[in-house]
Amino acid sequence: MSFPSRVDELKLHERVLQGDPVVPVDVFRTFMPPILKVLESEMSCNREDAHDSAIDAVLSYLRTPERYDPQRARLSTYLTQAAKKRAMDRRRSSDARTRREQDFAGVFEVQARPPKEVLEKSVEASLAAQRLDSLGLDEREREVLRLVLQGERSTRKLATVLGLDLLPEDEQRREVKRHRDRLMKMLERLGKEDPDDES
Amino acid sequence: MTNPDWLETAARRSAYEAWTLGHVFTRYRELEGRSHEDLAKALGCTLEVLHWLSLCRRPTGETFTEQVFVLAKRFEVDPLRLSEVLRRVEVMDALSARSDGGEATDEDTLQLAARDRPYDEETSS
Repeated sequence: MSFPSRVDELKLHERVLQGDPVVPVDVFRTFMPPILKVLESEMSCNREDAHDSAIDAVLSYLRTPERYDPQRARLSTYLTQAAKKRAMDRRRSSDARTRREQDFAGVFEVQARPPKEVLEKSVEASLAAQRLDSLGLDEREREVLRLVLQGERSTRKLATVLGLDLLPEDEQRREVKRHRDRLMKMLERLGKEDPDDES
Repeated sequence: MTNPDWLETAARRSAYEAWTLGHVFTRYRELEGRSHEDLAKALGCTLEVLHWLSLCRRPTGETFTEQVFVLAKRFEVDPLRLSEVLRRVEVMDALSARSDGGEATDEDTLQLAARDRPYDEETSS
């Protein structure tokens, strides 16, 4: 289960370049076992990931063998490095997928509420909407308020909603801030006037 | 020839590589509605040999026949059956390329169609 000699590697590579129809089998048989060994021992890959990564590397080399330059490295080094990189990419995307799934599970857990609480929240939301109506905001201001409450911080996006996107940047920033501050103050006052607020 | 545990995965992956016989076999099976087992039987080989063959480079160009014989000799399959499979896929791909507005010329298609005669016709000529 060791790599072939440099001379044997070069002979194989030459056959690959010549388009020998059966040489891919020889490349697979020669390089797969030692590459798999490296992936499992050095990268702690499971068997399946090691297979996929090594197969990716060998197929990629056979697809465009001219990209390998024998002057720069041995074929075994070239293929092993390629397989390691594939294994690393595979691990990264697997980690990212796990993180996304955990984040989603976390959000779902936080957002999912018992039915009674859902009903209470919808009554509260309906009352809040009625009170917001009393502020007499126009369409644009409502949209800006919605975006700000959702955490939108982009001046450009808020300026577009307010129809200020043609103003120079400094002026745009100043006007957006002015609108945002005014809306937040209105909300603050609304909160203080809340008749149900026992605090 | 022993069969390693990565062989089937590698053969399956070869279907996505246009330069491989695995790609040709997949196209052929799609066109003919055949299973892997049917194809192995048609070529006169086992499923494992079909997997090894799938990793090979598909014969093309001037030395097409020579390459088919190299493959047939190494894997002990029927060369005429193998070339029949290759030609069937070549013809269908050329026709698809034409109907998709591809670059295949009338001459290309005629040449391929001429080569697509049944294998027993070739043996009798």
